[in-house]
Amino acid sequence: MIRGIDAGLAACHSCELVVRVRDAADDAGVECPRCHASVRFRKRHARTHVIALLVAALALYFPANALTIMYTEQFPERRADTILSGVSFLWARGSWGLASIVFAASIMVPVMKLGALGFLVVSAARHSGWRPRARTRLYRALEVIGHWSMLDVFVVALLTAVVQLGQFARVTPGPAVLPFAGVVILTMLASASFDARAIWDRGIRE
Amino acid sequence: MELVICSYCDTVHRRIAAAGRDTMRCVTCGSPIYRGNGDLGAMLAVTVTAATGFLVANALPLLTLTSGGHRTQATLWHAIVASYDTKLPFVAIALTLTLIVTPAIELGLLLWLLVPLCLGARPLAFVAMMAALRTLRPWRMVEVFFLGVIVAVVKLAALATSVPGWGMFGVAVMAAALVSLSSFDLGALWRRAEQVAP
Repeated sequence: MIRGIDAGLAACHSCELVVRVRDAADDAGVECPRCHASVRFRKRHARTHVIALLVAALALYFPANALTIMYTEQFPERRADTILSGVSFLWARGSWGLASIVFAASIMVPVMKLGALGFLVVSAARHSGWRPRARTRLYRALEVIGHWSMLDVFVVALLTAVVQLGQFARVTPGPAVLPFAGVVILTMLASASFDARAIWDRGIRE
Repeated sequence: MELVICSYCDTVHRRIAAAGRDTMRCVTCGSPIYRGNGDLGAMLAVTVTAATGFLVANALPLLTLTSGGHRTQATLWHAIVASYDTKLPFVAIALTLTLIVTPAIELGLLLWLLVPLCLGARPLAFVAMMAALRTLRPWRMVEVFFLGVIVAVVKLAALATSVPGWGMFGVAVMAAALVSLSSFDLGALWRRAEQVAP
């Protein structure tokens, strides 16, 4: 089994053409002859970017869950829902399947992403040899589930807009919407910044 | 001999032909590297389906609401305009971006690339268009939006009677077609473009 970095080869991140990259230390990379993107062995400053984005996402995580995401007014009632109370509202109405989906997408996925990416970055930085195949699979799973957390933002946006038309009630987005969308976008950027090849490098190059 | 490198673990492989819709996986880490389905004609057909779904989703009502004798047909455009008028610009922007702008750009790019390639010509600005398509893809959220419509319908039941309309069918078709498009290998476009290059 030959690795690209040992053979002096790297695939262009943009068009996947395999290019000879002469000098690994050369930070500028080599221009891809097919699409002119710059080709490097590894993503630049991947670890720093991932950690910075994760810290920012973690900071937004608390307001996103503690604050109100949606106000509903239908005279004489007025309710304020957080993400979690929105899930229990669905559960209480008997939509258990949907309540579980929203719980998974809005509460479990962001926590799992923060935890799993943190674990991947730390284990790769410590040159861990623990089940690299399983860690790679974990990373691929993070890439797939990342954007499903946007679910609640769409629900709030849709309800607001649709109810506005009907005039029979008022639904307004709460202060948690922006931090929540921020968590989703930042964790998506964080997982895109992570270089999975670091799992397999075992400290060949920093 | 053409080489491919696994983007997850950096293992170098020799490219072999993939049969049918097979996914070729890395021998070291098991990640998918490339796929067999490089049929550009099929890809164009799915793109046209997605574009049809897009038009239906934008033109026809997503929901019909009934409350206290009032009947409202909520099309996407009306919903966006209403939320913009009532000082909720973020809601209007979020809906416009996810349901109109990003799918329109993605479908536009795909048509721009696939129509000339299927006719045996190199698309104008091929490299830039491919780069744009690749950058845009991870941010497509139509399928999440579709699930959002379902959740919203259930939550609305507490406030009014709502019946899904044809627009929602359009969203479902567009979401399904765009998801299936991401299972096509973009590498096939690069190879075809090199064959037809002047």
